[in-house]
Amino acid sequence: MSNCTAADIRRQVERFLPKVLKPSRYIGSEWNVIKKDWDKTEVQMAFAFPDVYEVGMSHLGTRILYHLVNSYPEFLCERVFAPWVDMEKEMRDREIPLYALESFQPLKAFDVVGFTLQYEMSYTNILNMLDLAGIPMRTEERGPEDPWIIAGGPCAYNPEPLVGFIDFFLIGESEEQLPEVLRLVAEQKKNPVSRQDFLKRVAQVQGVYVPEFYQVTYKADGRIEKIEAEAGVPTLVEKAVVADLDQAFFPTNPVVPYLEIVHDRMMLEVMRGCSRGCRFCQAGMIYRPVRERSPETLLRQTEELVRATGYDQIALTSLSSGDYTCIQPVIHNILEKHGAEGVGVSLPSLRVDSFDVDLAETVQKARKSGITFAPEAGTQRLRDVINKGVNEENLLNAAEAAFKKGWSTIKLYFMVGLPTETQEDIDGIVDLAKKVANLGTKLGRRNITVTISTSVFVPKSHTPFQWEPQESGSSVELKQRYLREKLRDRRLKYNYHDVTTSYLEAVFAKGDRRLAPLLEWAVKHGCRFDGWSEQFRYEVWMEGFKELGIDPRFYANRAMDYDDILPWEHIGSSVTKQFLVEEHHRALQEAKTIDCRYEDCTGCGVCPGRGVQIELKG
Amino acid sequence: MRLRIAYTKIEDARYIAHLDLTRVFERAIRRAGIHMAYSEGFNPRPKISFGFALAVGTEGEREYVDVDLQQDMDLGEVLARVQEQLPPGIRLLQSRVLDQGAKSLMAVLNAASYRIRVPMALPIQAERLQEAVSAWLGREHVTYSRYSKKGPTDKDIRPWIKHLEGKIQGDEVIFDLEVEMGNSGSVRPEEVLASLRELENLPIELDELQVIRTGVHVSYEGGKRSPLDEREA
Repeated sequence: MSNCTAADIRRQVERFLPKVLKPSRYIGSEWNVIKKDWDKTEVQMAFAFPDVYEVGMSHLGTRILYHLVNSYPEFLCERVFAPWVDMEKEMRDREIPLYALESFQPLKAFDVVGFTLQYEMSYTNILNMLDLAGIPMRTEERGPEDPWIIAGGPCAYNPEPLVGFIDFFLIGESEEQLPEVLRLVAEQKKNPVSRQDFLKRVAQVQGVYVPEFYQVTYKADGRIEKIEAEAGVPTLVEKAVVADLDQAFFPTNPVVPYLEIVHDRMMLEVMRGCSRGCRFCQAGMIYRPVRERSPETLLRQTEELVRATGYDQIALTSLSSGDYTCIQPVIHNILEKHGAEGVGVSLPSLRVDSFDVDLAETVQKARKSGITFAPEAGTQRLRDVINKGVNEENLLNAAEAAFKKGWSTIKLYFMVGLPTETQEDIDGIVDLAKKVANLGTKLGRRNITVTISTSVFVPKSHTPFQWEPQESGSSVELKQRYLREKLRDRRLKYNYHDVTTSYLEAVFAKGDRRLAPLLEWAVKHGCRFDGWSEQFRYEVWMEGFKELGIDPRFYANRAMDYDDILPWEHIGSSVTKQFLVEEHHRALQEAKTIDCRYEDCTGCGVCPGRGVQIELKG
Repeated sequence: MRLRIAYTKIEDARYIAHLDLTRVFERAIRRAGIHMAYSEGFNPRPKISFGFALAVGTEGEREYVDVDLQQDMDLGEVLARVQEQLPPGIRLLQSRVLDQGAKSLMAVLNAASYRIRVPMALPIQAERLQEAVSAWLGREHVTYSRYSKKGPTDKDIRPWIKHLEGKIQGDEVIFDLEVEMGNSGSVRPEEVLASLRELENLPIELDELQVIRTGVHVSYEGGKRSPLDEREA
């Protein structure tokens, strides 16, 4: 079946489709889908999300880029997601290659397959999807008839574990960069030059990283000796950034899925970037500077979204929507205009201090399910270390207001294993949880639930904590067990993230290109959907490390020096290394850093370095 | 204003799960700019209700939905505007305004008819087919084992069968089947064919069968009516 046509694939798939779970994941005839004529477009791209349909379709970036590429008459973009294990089995049994949803064309027929890298635990799915498509995983095994395999998204800021599989990476925001790349692909189809020459050309586009032009050498102890760029490509690949977000492309006719997806609503991006400066947060560093959209643009987009989708809920998305300077008037205007049609607003990312409980009440439709706060750490000292500008008073005030307004479930998010964490900080989580619960009881509320969720700190590249090690799994497990004991109370509910998954996440977040063979090994031994606990096979991974002689602790649990060459040293977020070092120092001194949106510039380097600026509309 | 609409659910729309169908109609009506009536209470939902669920992957040539609107509108206009907003495969066929107090679809519907195409595993003569069908229908009880997580359960499927007829077309057999449906359950077309193959040794290829639900009905003293019939609406 290696040379199947779209019609063959469709006929074969339809024979068994009713037998798999959620068949409408695989048919691609949703409302607002774009089906273009292959013969009338110059470049055909498949946008690949390496997870199931419901997850991928909930991702705003995927929606933006799908519609962006299709907004050019000369380009075509279709979607493909990781088929769930039952579908994969049916496809493999019948030798049906992975196909794109719109046309049922096999992935192999496209010029470009672009993966989005949203989380490290999806890497095995990328390789598995290539394999399922009959496309060789390794770049050197692919020929001129194979598509260009490219990747972008937040994890592309440390793309090294995927070097060897991906031809080139797109670092940063793709609204302007991706069409430029596709134009070069169109040119290459018309007047082909050698692979080498084409890649040199692509490497000139802002934020494009072609790994084969960068040689990495290592010291005897395993650390990196140097990373050398070939002539003709930038030594530091700096991210692409959209200067004017208000004018940037935004789709108001998104695809409306048949089945219920994770975030099944309209999404309106109110701003991009966050300057709060939480020191563990990669998104807060790589999406700088803060750029807001104007209320006029947002209201126009809302109007169009409601008409084009028929959804009854709109989420105002960003890294911290409560910080958007026009949030109140925008919500007010949306509800005034569309409330009668049954349209409600939701705010998915709120912070205690930006969080006005009144705001939450305005947006909460009828049922008061739960309200979430993220203090992240149990004591003020540790919150200062991570620069989470929230104090206990803020939290308790917000909780009190929420209880008074009728909420009965409060969720509190924390991280365990943060740098400098001590027993006192763990006890602080217990204290805070109990204080919140007691507050509810004191206010006469019965049947309240305070849910405490702890994730495991994973140090990420391009953050002030990038040099930090992850705490050992056994030590984190002790803390989780302690919390489980201490949080025994019928008003409290404790959830925690799996230590082994977080460990592997840390290995890949801080990993280098020597991990690529391990990924390949893991996929060949059946690893995929590692982010899904029921699919995750920790023992197989551990066997792989042993088999290939790789020490996972070297990546996850080793403290790095400031003068170590980082695996991502040649990738730039435009936040200077000097700023990250200073922020790391300040963390260890428990010193807070202000938000440059409201006060002085903190010198992270983005604005002067890139000729961009903070854009506030309020 | 309460409406009852007959529609098709064919082509790609046959893969839309029954539970997702409410959302498909709800969004189409909202895109059409028509205001639906909502339920009272904590979490108001638009008033949209269907008849018996159609299995995912089975095409329905004539299905029904009841929709409640906030205001009275011209029926033709509603249909035209909603049709424009529906995905391919869902075509609105006919509709009528329901009387006050008309019973819901689930309360009136009690029968369904199917057309099933199935390839022959070995050649079958017309007489052989007729014999098999007659013999099967002649049985007073037909026990069929359903397998679930709890293990097999035996069930007599014969009482549900109102009509079964087979004819040969090329190397396929086409069956017309009519079954009763009720709150206590029914029988699936696949089960009827599996039983026919097993009990009457009819060589048909069950892996490749294609089922179309041609209609759902109100069965009444030997006759059948459409839920759009004025006596039902």
